Amino acid sequence: MFTSVVSNRTRLLAILLLAVMAVFVVRLFYLQVIRHDSYVAQAAERQTRKLDIPAQRGEIYALERDEPVKLVLNETVYTVFADPQVVTEPEAIVEVMNRVAGGNVRDNFADLLDLTDTRYQVLATNVSYAQAEMIKQEDIFGLGFTKTSRRVYPEGQLASQVLGFVNAEGVGQYGVESALNDRLTGTDGVLRTVADVRDVPLTIGNNNINIAPTDGDDIVLTIDRNVQRATEKALADGLKRIGAKTGSALVMNPRTGEVMAMANLPTYDPANLDKVTDVAALNNNTISMPYEPGSVIKTFTVAAGVDTGTITPNSTYVNTDKIVVDDRTIGNATNGQTGEITMQHALNWSLNTGMVTIAQRMGNGSYITEGAQSTIYDYFHNKFRLGHPTGIELAGEASGIIIAPDQAQGNAVRYSNMVFGQGMDVTMLQVASGFSAMVNGGTYYQPTVVAGTMDGDTFVDAPAREVREKVISSKSSATARQMVIGARRAFYAGGDTAGYAIGGKTGTSETIVNGQYIKDQTIATYLGFGGETGEIPAYVVMVEVSSPGMNLAGGEHAMPIFTDISNWMLDYLQLQPKG
Amino acid sequence: MQSRRSTTYASRRSPERHSRNHNSVNYISAVKLGPVTHTVIVALMITVLGLIYLTQATKAIGYDYAASDIESQIAELSVEKNNLEVENARLTALKTIENSSVAAEMSEPSSTDFVR
Repeated sequence: MFTSVVSNRTRLLAILLLAVMAVFVVRLFYLQVIRHDSYVAQAAERQTRKLDIPAQRGEIYALERDEPVKLVLNETVYTVFADPQVVTEPEAIVEVMNRVAGGNVRDNFADLLDLTDTRYQVLATNVSYAQAEMIKQEDIFGLGFTKTSRRVYPEGQLASQVLGFVNAEGVGQYGVESALNDRLTGTDGVLRTVADVRDVPLTIGNNNINIAPTDGDDIVLTIDRNVQRATEKALADGLKRIGAKTGSALVMNPRTGEVMAMANLPTYDPANLDKVTDVAALNNNTISMPYEPGSVIKTFTVAAGVDTGTITPNSTYVNTDKIVVDDRTIGNATNGQTGEITMQHALNWSLNTGMVTIAQRMGNGSYITEGAQSTIYDYFHNKFRLGHPTGIELAGEASGIIIAPDQAQGNAVRYSNMVFGQGMDVTMLQVASGFSAMVNGGTYYQPTVVAGTMDGDTFVDAPAREVREKVISSKSSATARQMVIGARRAFYAGGDTAGYAIGGKTGTSETIVNGQYIKDQTIATYLGFGGETGEIPAYVVMVEVSSPGMNLAGGEHAMPIFTDISNWMLDYLQLQPKG
Repeated sequence: MQSRRSTTYASRRSPERHSRNHNSVNYISAVKLGPVTHTVIVALMITVLGLIYLTQATKAIGYDYAASDIESQIAELSVEKNNLEVENARLTALKTIENSSVAAEMSEPSSTDFVR
């Protein structure tokens, strides 16, 4: 009897245990087999971290002669934040923040620590590495640091319109920063990995991804730091001397098309954008503001005349100080050089009648025919590339306008104005690039501000650019060059360092406001070159100055700035005087 | 070549009990292991093997922490290097040089000679 009872109880216990075991087995089967994918996904979601590894934005270098020097760098800075709910020593935080990062704290940062219903309050931004380390050493609970990167400009305002800046989203604006944004930005990397609670990446797991970021290119500009500085100084001094407010200057190497300096005033400091009061200061007017350059274009007219065999420097015409084209009478700005005079004389005195005569002789001798218009258009637009965007690696380049002969406004009157620099809109860069082709033997080099890239510490040259050879013959180039030297020596060579071949031409143009010429404001321009006697010029300089309500003249106001830059360039390039 | 026995083997068994396929040597140990002991030994072996497995498995994670530390150090040093480069660029900037005491002592050359 007793044995039977025990046996039944044991059997019952066994059945109960089996039942419990069965429940466990079924539950485990459900969790581990049926819900397997779901739980694996949940685990992966909690354990896996996906981090974007930011690529470092490329740095920008200038040149110092042939050596790259850093112009724009990246600096690691910190945002200091607090969690008011866990802060226990607000007085200590206020004390250390004021002492270490007083210039970077938010105005009301002490009050923010009292907002205990929040968990994240930014106390200071742009805190340097050294400052952050000092704050960290205080070991105050409740403070945190977020690492960010910002652009640094050790040269301050130097070449700021060429460089541009980077906005809060990390996108380049204006200048090289915008034009080459894709190259400078690089490609972010990705890290997807199982991580522990402190976000330390662990190698366990089969789905980890680690793609390294590709940093942006380090770009080396053709801008020479010293030439840029000297150009900006000469422009600033010149504007101060004449009391003008705005001006631009451009220095190019005519042998390569490389831009050595681009200066614009007023300017700005890209590190202090909040202090910019006029957004016009952000523009690089040498490329973005087309204008009527005035008589500097006469150098293009005589070059075209020489190259087509229409004139020589000694060709003569009878100057009466006025010339009639259709229903318009065109006069000279300077009267009195009447009678039979040479084209060199006409260029020296900047006589409009001489240029219109060249245009007429390209036609039937007395009229600017359609054939003459086509010839002028071909030289101005197709060969010297006026009215074309040059494709320079800078944002905001304007194309300008050269009216073609087959357009409604492309008539004889238009072309009679174009030959002395009116009735067209061109940028300083277009003019300087075409002028470079004119004086360098006849080769048009696409202008550029990019010399190459840095590969580690090695400077790598940029790929070759567009080159158009023989836009005029080398003989025509030499003749035009000599005529431009003659034009400078006629009146403006007094300030030149002796022993060099320096040429140049003045330009004074009226200002157009709302489509109408205004009488109380003119723009002064000077375009010239310099170098060793008998050699291809080593530099081309173009200067433009203007100011509201001021009538400025190329010879009086822009030319002295050219002279300052030119004399400085002769020394800097260590050119040898002759004779 | 035939081998020769050097000694003569004499079976301790009686010839009448000897038959084919029966062990001729019967060894009986003095120490006897019961089923519990066997179970414990097997469990211990499994435990040791498990520990070895865990040690090896977590060794890689230990390297992860070491690698993470080193990467942190590299990042710190990289930040310091960048900051030093920035400082160097600031110190060698044209404006800094122009405002230096050395530059203040300089004067314009009175004349320039050119030598080829």
